[in-house]
Amino acid sequence: MVAVESQHSLWLKHILQCSKAKQDSALLLPEYRFHKPKTLDECLAVLGECGDRGQLIAGGTDVVFNMRLRLFQPEHVISVRTLPELQTIEELSDGSLRIGAACRLEDLSTSALVQKNYPAFKQSIDAVASTHIRNLGTLGGNICLQTRCWYTNNSEEWRKGREGCFKTDCEQCHVIQTAQRCHAINNADTPVALTALDAVLTLAKVGSTRDVPISEFYNCDGEDFCVLETGEMVTAVTLPPTSKRSIFLKYTPRKGMDFSLGAISASGDVDGDQVSNLKIVLGSVSSSPIILEEPVQLLQREGLSDAVIGKAVKLVRGELGELTNLYGRAGYKKQIARSLLQRAVTQLREL
Amino acid sequence: MAKFIMSLIANGDKFEFAADDTDTLLDVIRNQMVLTGTKRGCTTGSCGVCTVNNSKGESILSCLTLAREWDGEEITTIEGLEADGALDAIQQAFVNFGAVQCGFCTPGVIMSAKALLNKYPEPTEEQINEGMAGVLCRCTGHIKVKDAIRNDFRLRADMLVAQQSGSADVIEVANETGFKYPGEK
Repeated sequence: MVAVESQHSLWLKHILQCSKAKQDSALLLPEYRFHKPKTLDECLAVLGECGDRGQLIAGGTDVVFNMRLRLFQPEHVISVRTLPELQTIEELSDGSLRIGAACRLEDLSTSALVQKNYPAFKQSIDAVASTHIRNLGTLGGNICLQTRCWYTNNSEEWRKGREGCFKTDCEQCHVIQTAQRCHAINNADTPVALTALDAVLTLAKVGSTRDVPISEFYNCDGEDFCVLETGEMVTAVTLPPTSKRSIFLKYTPRKGMDFSLGAISASGDVDGDQVSNLKIVLGSVSSSPIILEEPVQLLQREGLSDAVIGKAVKLVRGELGELTNLYGRAGYKKQIARSLLQRAVTQLREL
Repeated sequence: MAKFIMSLIANGDKFEFAADDTDTLLDVIRNQMVLTGTKRGCTTGSCGVCTVNNSKGESILSCLTLAREWDGEEITTIEGLEADGALDAIQQAFVNFGAVQCGFCTPGVIMSAKALLNKYPEPTEEQINEGMAGVLCRCTGHIKVKDAIRNDFRLRADMLVAQQSGSADVIEVANETGFKYPGEK
């Protein structure tokens, strides 16, 4: 009798496991509690209380996707989509532009304030995925876009075929086997332009806010890719007043939808062949946007003639650090970085 | 898991129902509101089959939005396009140009096209490519879809003329007044 019972319970267990596996493969969402705070203070309080178990959601285009893949398994999901404090686009008295983190990309793309002074920013917004995604996605969401790689961006079922990686609590990286850190790529488009335009992020948590320049916001580590602390969130982006020319370019296999194989943004005061205050940022080749130094110094010293651009392009290799074979071979990516730099600087000169 | 009472205004009708925290907009549209025209595709935002329009007439992906985030808001699904049994001009254009084959992606494609036409009534080639980038059709191909979108405003004008002249069947007249397949004489 006992044996029969245990067989029966084993059978039940098996059925339960099967139904769970079926749920996983159907990409259903994990169980969580949903919160919809009315004000920013309330939101910060809830987020502070939830700590590591909380996940903010605004547009949902990245969060829901990652929850389906079980990369995020939050116990609490906190909606900030309609928080009034995060919806504003305003010009401050000193001429800088302050953008709430929950502004939709589509609203920013059509905003006259953005179009007027920050063409690179507008171009980077228009480069994000498709109209559908931009109608949902927010600026804060794009800044905090989860880093991506070929291993973790598959369903949990699929990932079970291999051992885990840094992101799934295992001490190894599938992208570079010998690596000591996660080499997932930061594929976000707007941070590249925002870095070139010297944007400042406002981070808030219960009882305190701080301003962090976006160039210091990202860590070069795919797993822990930004400096956000537990219970902290991006509330606003401030773009300083500028009269600089700026440009953003993105290289993708398809024109829409794809994450980029390489993105570049350049800004500077151009006067004929001379350039000053030049800033060039490469995105989508590493776990954080890369600010180029040597090519920029060369271009500022020797001008923007074709010959100098040719010389600067050769210096890109030294700036890239260790490249991965993720979404294209490392050599191919160097080629993309070189081409993008050449195109961006030439177009900046001719704007 | 506890259920929550929420409401949505879909195609002008108010729906009230109980939803889970984990339900997406797509789940409640199909299961609670039983508007099964909207289809479930990849559920990860790549295919665009689940497209519905928000209150501003913009295309959004219902598989990536949580239902409770949209509590009380207004949406339009494919069922909301026809009025009094007559197809919308864009639907008629899809029929006339044969922009439908197996039909699974069609609700998403049409809602995306509708959002595109809300934004640009006479879209250029580039605007069509841009606006339809988020939806995939695996059998009709995108050429006929683009033909239909390009000719939507012509059909719309024809239908308006027919309506003003007091014609009994608007669509029939629209078809007679020079709305033909490309290449047809």
